[in-house]
Parts: sequence; C-alpha cells; structure tokens
Amino acid sequence: MPDLAFLALSGLVIISAIFALEAKELIYGAVGLAFSLIGVAGVFVLLGAEYLAMFQVSVYVGAVVVLILFTIMLVRRESGRIVEEEEPCRLGRAGMLIAGLVAVAVAEAMLILAPLSPETPEFYQAPLRELGRSLATSYSVALVILGLLIGATVVGGLTLAKIDREEKADGTAQ
Amino acid sequence: MRRLQGLPALDEIVSLAVRIITSRTFLEILVFPGFLNITLSAAFLTWLERKVIARVQLRIGPLYAGMWGILQPIADGVKLMFKEMIFPELADARLLMLCALSLMLIAAAPVVAIPFGDGLVIANMEIGLIYVFAAVSLFPTVILLIGWGSNSKYPFIGGLRSLFQQVSYEIPMWFSALGIVMLTGSLNLTEIVKAQQNIWFLVPQVLGFAVFFTTVLAELERIPFDLPEAETELVMGWMTELSGVAFMIGFLAMYIKLYLMSALITVLFLGGWLGPPLLPDPVWFLVKTFLVSSVIVIIRGSFPRVRIDLLLKAGWTRLLLLALANIFVTVILIVLGLDWMWRV
Repeated sequence: MPDLAFLALSGLVIISAIFALEAKELIYGAVGLAFSLIGVAGVFVLLGAEYLAMFQVSVYVGAVVVLILFTIMLVRRESGRIVEEEEPCRLGRAGMLIAGLVAVAVAEAMLILAPLSPETPEFYQAPLRELGRSLATSYSVALVILGLLIGATVVGGLTLAKIDREEKADGTAQ
Repeated sequence: MRRLQGLPALDEIVSLAVRIITSRTFLEILVFPGFLNITLSAAFLTWLERKVIARVQLRIGPLYAGMWGILQPIADGVKLMFKEMIFPELADARLLMLCALSLMLIAAAPVVAIPFGDGLVIANMEIGLIYVFAAVSLFPTVILLIGWGSNSKYPFIGGLRSLFQQVSYEIPMWFSALGIVMLTGSLNLTEIVKAQQNIWFLVPQVLGFAVFFTTVLAELERIPFDLPEAETELVMGWMTELSGVAFMIGFLAMYIKLYLMSALITVLFLGGWLGPPLLPDPVWFLVKTFLVSSVIVIIRGSFPRVRIDLLLKAGWTRLLLLALANIFVTVILIVLGLDWMWRV
C-alpha cells in the first residue's frame, strides 16, 4: 500500500511540475506548482515527517504560491494573453545535453551512496517534544542566528518599501 | 469459464461490502464526525443564521418549508442545483469549478483531526492543531484564484482583500493558540481537551481566547471583518461570478468553515466534549459548537464593517502584541508552577 501511495504521489509531483513548467498561462503554472508542492508534502508524510509536511503545506502552498500568484497578477494586467513562443535557442540542445548528463551523474552518485533495496529503511522519528527541546538547547545558537536573519530580511523589506514611498513624495513635491 | 472461477462469488462481494460499510472507520468518515455531519451542520447553520439575524432585525425569517422553516436549506440546495451555471464570457470556467471544489475540500479537511468525543476522531494526529492551521492557510490561494479567474472587477478586489486579511490574521491566530500548547505540551487536539478536565483554557488564556476569536472572525470573513464580501461595495465579493452548483459548493464551504472553526474554538478553549454527565459527550460538543456559531452570527447582526486599513493595522500591531502578551502571561504561569493543572 505505501508503494502505491508513493507511486501516486510521485506521479502527482512530476506531472504537476511538468505542467508548471510547460503551462502557457503563468497562473496555471502557479496552480501546477501548488499541486506539486502538496505532493511533496504527501511524500514527507509517507516518510514519517508529518510536522515538516504540515509546514510544507502552510508555508509553500499557503504563502509562497500566494506570493507568486500575487506577483503575476500585479505584473500582468490583461488575462487570457498567451506567452509567445520564443525561437528555440541554438545552445538549447547543448544545455539539455549538459542537464541530462548532470542528472545521470547525480542519479549514479545516489545509487553508489545508497543502493536500491526492496525494503523501506527504518527512519528515526524524533518526537516533536524532543525536536523542540533540541532546538531550544543544543541548536539554540543556530536558531537565534536564523531569527536574526529573518528579522534583517523584514527590516530590509520595510526599508525598500519606505525608500520607494519617499521618492514618490519627492516626485510630487517637484 | 475457467477465467470466471477465480472471481469471488456474489454473496462474498456483498458481505465484504457490508463489512466495509458498517466498519467504524467508514462510518466515522462518512457519517458522524465526517461528511454527513459537516454538510448537515453547515446547512443547519445557514438556517440558524437566517433565523437569528431575522430575530435581531425583528423579522420572522424562513417560515414555510417545514416546521419553523427548518427545511429551507434543502429547498435552497435543490433550487441551486437545478439552476444554470452562468459564467462571464472571458471567465475561466474550468479554473472556477476546480477552485470551488478545492474550497470544499479545504473547508472539510480539518474535520479529520477534530475530536467530537472521547476517541470519536477520524485520525488522532500528534500534530492535529498544526494540521488544522495548515488546512486553513490554503484558503487565500484558492480565493485569490477564484477572484482572478472570474475576470471581473468585484471578485478580483474581493479576492485581494481576502488575501490581505487572511494572510495577515493567520499569524496572530497561530501565536494566540501557542499558550495552550505551552501549557499542555502537546499539539494533539484530543490531549488538549483532556487537559481541560479541571478548568477550561478559557480561564488561564482569556487574552488568547479574545485574540483567537477575533482572528477566527477575520478568517471566516464574518462581520465586522467581511470586507472581501462587502455586499454594499462588492456585490458578493469573490463569490460574485460563481453561480448554480459552483456557488452552492462555495457557499456551503464557507459555512463548513464556520462550523469547523467554531468546533476548533470549542476544542481549544471551551473544554471540547467535557461536561456534566447528563448528556453524551458528542452532544455536549455539538451544543458548545452551535453556541459559538450563534455568537458569531449575532455579532453579524450587531456590528458595522471596519475599514481595510484599520483591519490590517489592528492585525499587525494590536492583535499580534496581545498574542505575544498572552505568551508572556503563560510563561509567568509556568514559572510560578501553576501549570500542573493542565499537564497531560
């Protein structure tokens, strides 16, 4: 049964990822991305990381996809316009070849590191309480640095917004 | 004939089907905490809302269909089901149908984790609270897509307002529930209810309750926070261009959300199914849930709508600060050693 679920979820992830890349309309691409991310959350659940899966859903689908949608809507006013096909670049084939070679190399490396086996490996599932405790004790420095980083990002975003507004105010004054 | 020998006999299939249908999990998913319960309760809530609002405004409300008009939701459902679905010419009808269906799915998703009685829960998840919040956080995506797909001014403005409101009120909502998690040390909703055996969380978490209730009102887009649906400005908000069955699904989804968010308030702050043993557990739970829903509905009858800038300012400055203050109060409670009462 888990195999069936895994196959279904992988199919969902891959097909919706391809759809996200190939969709003519950017909005459909964002929808495909949302489905792909939900599929990834499902894979996390299968691996026993429910906590991660929930945050995958709420942060990626609930916030990042919304951000993408919002950006698309701000930039593209008229709906129903189709992205024009660009002329295929001559270097495109070489790029695809290199990408394929890289993919094969990564797959080979993964096979060498972790050979395929029919059994599902045992995962160590840390209880949530233990996770929280280790975050607050042994990884507290990393946690504080991450918090500072996010705080700096917020301050940076606010500053950018404020600079924009001040320039506009100057423009009207002149 | 040889191929048919491998097939099970008809009575075996029938007995298997009966066994599946009468199994506890199946009944839980389909009947009590699951599908039938939420759809019927949501339909009942539409009737309750019309009746209560009518009383507030000195009217009678639905009257003719059944006793006190209680069959009115069914009549409305039948009417909507037979209506033609009309979409504007440039609207994205496929996207709208997909979004209406996913709205229903997302609205119904939290029922999986909410305990309606001791052990009466479809999946007793260790991270039930986060699961419910994750499901709720998917709403803005779908509503924004509906607003865009309608290709019309009012739904689009409604969708944007809904996005601002729901995304910015999610943060105080998560923070205001954090005090309870700190007191119980668990994210499991069943354990959170069991921790309230002595005193409901309403008492030590008054501040958290106030913030949580306000943010739930905003998440539900109810008055005084019904900006995305402001009928005097935006016709029907992001639902304007939905019609027929799509409208019914979207409308029912919002009432299912109302029902399940009331259930979540009951679980977190009002002791869930706990009560004097006069009534069975699920009945206590339903009574409390419908009381919370009625309070939300009465608020609709008595308050005006707020402005969007005031709403956002209140969310980011006041509510977030109050939620953080609630966390500090909880920390003081724990430091003073008063949290033994709620430890699981």
